[in-house]
Amino acid sequence: MSGSSQVLATRARPRRSSLRSWRWSDRIVYLLAWFSGLALCLVAGALILYLGVRGIEYVSPSLLFSRPTAGVDQSQIGGILDPLLGTLLVVVIGIFIATPIGVASAVWIVEYGRPRWLARAVESSIEIVAGTPDIVIALFALSLFQLGLFGFLSFTASGGGVYGRSFLTAGVAVSLLAIPPVFLATRDGLQTLPGHQREGAFALGKTRVATIRRVLLPGVRPNIGTGVTLGMGRIIGDTAIVFLLLGVGASQRFDFQGGTPGLNALRGTGATLTSYIYTTSPAGEGNAPQKAYAAAFVLLLMVLALNAFAGFVAGRGAAGKMSFGDRVRFGAWA
Amino acid sequence: MLERLRHPWSDRRAELVLGAAACSVCLAIGLMIAFVAVRAWPTFAHNGLSWLGAGSNPEHQIGKMLYTGPHPPASAYRLSAWPLIYGTLLTSGLALVFGMGFALLAAIFLVEFAPPAVRRVLVPVVRLLAGVPSVIYGLVGILVLAPFVGNHLISPAQKRSVEYVVQLDGTGLIGAVVILTLMITPIMVALIADALNTVPTAWREGAVALGVNPLRATLAVSLRAIRPAIVAAGAFACARAVGEAVVIAMVSGGNAFTPKPWDGAVFLFEPLLTLAASILNNADALSAPAVGSTMNAFALLLLFSAFVLSLGSYLVKLPLRRYHGGLR
Amino acid sequence: MKRIRRLSAALTLSGVLGIAVLPAIAVAASVITISGATASAPLVTLLAQKYVKVKPHQVKFKIAQGGANVGIADVAAGRVSVADVSRDPLPSDPSGLKFYPIAKYFVCVVTNTSNPLSNLTQAQAQAIFTGKVRDWSQVPGASAHGTIDLISRTSSAGVLTTFQQLLLGNKTVSSIASQEPSEGLLQQKVKSDPNAIGFLSDYFALKGVNPVGYNGVGCSVANAVSGQYPGVAHFYEVTRGPASGASKAFISWIVHSAAARKIISTAWIPLS
Repeated sequence: MSGSSQVLATRARPRRSSLRSWRWSDRIVYLLAWFSGLALCLVAGALILYLGVRGIEYVSPSLLFSRPTAGVDQSQIGGILDPLLGTLLVVVIGIFIATPIGVASAVWIVEYGRPRWLARAVESSIEIVAGTPDIVIALFALSLFQLGLFGFLSFTASGGGVYGRSFLTAGVAVSLLAIPPVFLATRDGLQTLPGHQREGAFALGKTRVATIRRVLLPGVRPNIGTGVTLGMGRIIGDTAIVFLLLGVGASQRFDFQGGTPGLNALRGTGATLTSYIYTTSPAGEGNAPQKAYAAAFVLLLMVLALNAFAGFVAGRGAAGKMSFGDRVRFGAWA
Repeated sequence: MLERLRHPWSDRRAELVLGAAACSVCLAIGLMIAFVAVRAWPTFAHNGLSWLGAGSNPEHQIGKMLYTGPHPPASAYRLSAWPLIYGTLLTSGLALVFGMGFALLAAIFLVEFAPPAVRRVLVPVVRLLAGVPSVIYGLVGILVLAPFVGNHLISPAQKRSVEYVVQLDGTGLIGAVVILTLMITPIMVALIADALNTVPTAWREGAVALGVNPLRATLAVSLRAIRPAIVAAGAFACARAVGEAVVIAMVSGGNAFTPKPWDGAVFLFEPLLTLAASILNNADALSAPAVGSTMNAFALLLLFSAFVLSLGSYLVKLPLRRYHGGLR
Repeated sequence: MKRIRRLSAALTLSGVLGIAVLPAIAVAASVITISGATASAPLVTLLAQKYVKVKPHQVKFKIAQGGANVGIADVAAGRVSVADVSRDPLPSDPSGLKFYPIAKYFVCVVTNTSNPLSNLTQAQAQAIFTGKVRDWSQVPGASAHGTIDLISRTSSAGVLTTFQQLLLGNKTVSSIASQEPSEGLLQQKVKSDPNAIGFLSDYFALKGVNPVGYNGVGCSVANAVSGQYPGVAHFYEVTRGPASGASKAFISWIVHSAAARKIISTAWIPLS
């Protein structure tokens, strides 16, 4: 894990002055610092443990592979297969849109970047996107995709109103969340690539395009990997956008739209793990806390796995590892 | 034709294509601001400045808007958003204050005092806590924290003392602030720890060489040196707290009430609602024009505050930058 | 080599175009979109499931909830074909809507099972729900202690309007009450809080909570059918303009077919 290696970098530690020689106030602060650090570990441990215990009670292979069924007593029936697949689908669509845009923007900013005002505008926009609350993005996306222009992305009711909610619209909205991590990771990577790689390529007569394609992009592949993983983490954890854009409907199942296999799932609505947890918790429709725990446990496992994977990808990387702070900042706006 | 596509692209063409991709993000942002502003306009037009004022319960007002049909009269847009704004400020402010204290201490611990074994555990822990989806925090809040508060912390006497005004059931200010603090602290810890690492070790060692104990050296030298980063971390965390809808919707009681500090201990248990949570709660009623306009107005306010926060942190860092050269 | 590449590219292109064109050619089953009351959602879901069996491959349903008033707003805006509504038409409803009654249901006041309150007069119910009486000690027949926890519905609910009209003498529920967005949540709150009191439609009121009598008449199916219990109202299906096409077929099937009548009789009251 690159971030931790920075933090673990051996600092020349001065011989610790004995605590006895410190003032009282300093001793208190010292203890508080220890307490805060350990408290964070404890909270994380407690969270995982609690969700693990409550989740494992209800998670079983049948739960993972059966579909949600309608009915009043939700504690006995139904599974979470649809929400699980829904999460994967939304992540795939979101990353599929975000990666080219993020990488292309980063390449443009670093390699070209003219006119200057446009480059600044692009950088500011990405900062703004990174800072926008996801509920605002959700509201905007819903308003946008309910225009008649975008009827093909979802479903048009017989009264002429465009439903505006589907996996496609949710995927497009959610890609906005993933663009900043991909962009920043790629840009940092490109900026820290040694200049002589480019110069060597130019000296050999390659065009800018060829250099980008054959020299630079392969060089920042681990950075792109980190960015994509962080983006996936953000998408998986997002609730507000998915809740608004996959239908506040009751079914929690895939709801196919139209006749083509594949496309009908994309244009239809459904649920993801996050919207499922919200709906089955006492804040939504509320009658299945057991299922909510099970789904939360599965979700937590996915986040843990992604974190570990991100660490792994970045660890093998070459140039410009993202700092600990940046990785947390852009992977964590969930 | 396909042959031509296979030929290496010229620099010019690549620049245009890549630039177009980059500009699409600009376009999306511009579109978003335009959409939200245009749709929010009716509610501002009909309310004027009284929109920001106090008055009746905004949730009730929004509820009435549902009855008004496709062409609502001007009176249908009446809204007094202050309880929601107050709720947002209260929860985010308190979470920021508590979170910042925790984060500073934890960051100092992480960078200076933690033994390597503890550090190896703490870094992934911070990353995990920062990455946990908000809905999981909300779930634990509503299924664990709220019943605990409702059954063990709120006494029947306290319930009775406010029974003619509001109902206390465990969801409320305290749950919202606790969970929000938990959410924003890891992010601040990571950012501040990062910044502490960029302080040249010579600075701190110089202080220690002068006989200052390590804690004081950190406080006096490193913390002062990274003040811009602390401000940035705080602004970032505040922006996140302000925009958090899911957790608040789950644990804050869902009642657009203004908790009154002079109520004493009961103040902690009173329900409230924030702008973001209100948008989430009214999501299925968006087809009513008055409701849609009001929700977009809330969204505009949220956008505006996020923008102000990032601009503010940038401006605060500006003069400090002079003293720190290249330091963040 | 070049020719093979060109050929394969042409084939992929035509394949992609073919798939894109397919939706237009495919015979789409007509889709009926429904949103609205949470009280009638269980009934409408059962009816829809039966209807799909009766007319396979011809009709698909998309059922959402949100509350009766959300349904009305949706159908008036054309976003759904039919709205489920659990209250009578109001003068403030948008014009042009057609209300088709499909079944009858009744509303009960409910308390937690540990608080077996057997009856409330209209005056008592009004005093409790308007917030004048806030303590269980002032309610005769109640075994709970402490503050009354009022649980109500959000303003999008049709059952709220029905309850206020029929059982509260047109008084409004106090704003102190906590507002739940669905019948299921209200039921859950009442089940988990010994001091809670609320109101539910019969499908939810007769399971796991204590239904309270009104003015001496117990809240039960028998009393509702016989007409003694006053809190009986209609479920409506609402369309913008007269129902047409698939929606019309569905609604007339509900009203006229024996299979639908059998489903309604399981937990609700058929029209006649």
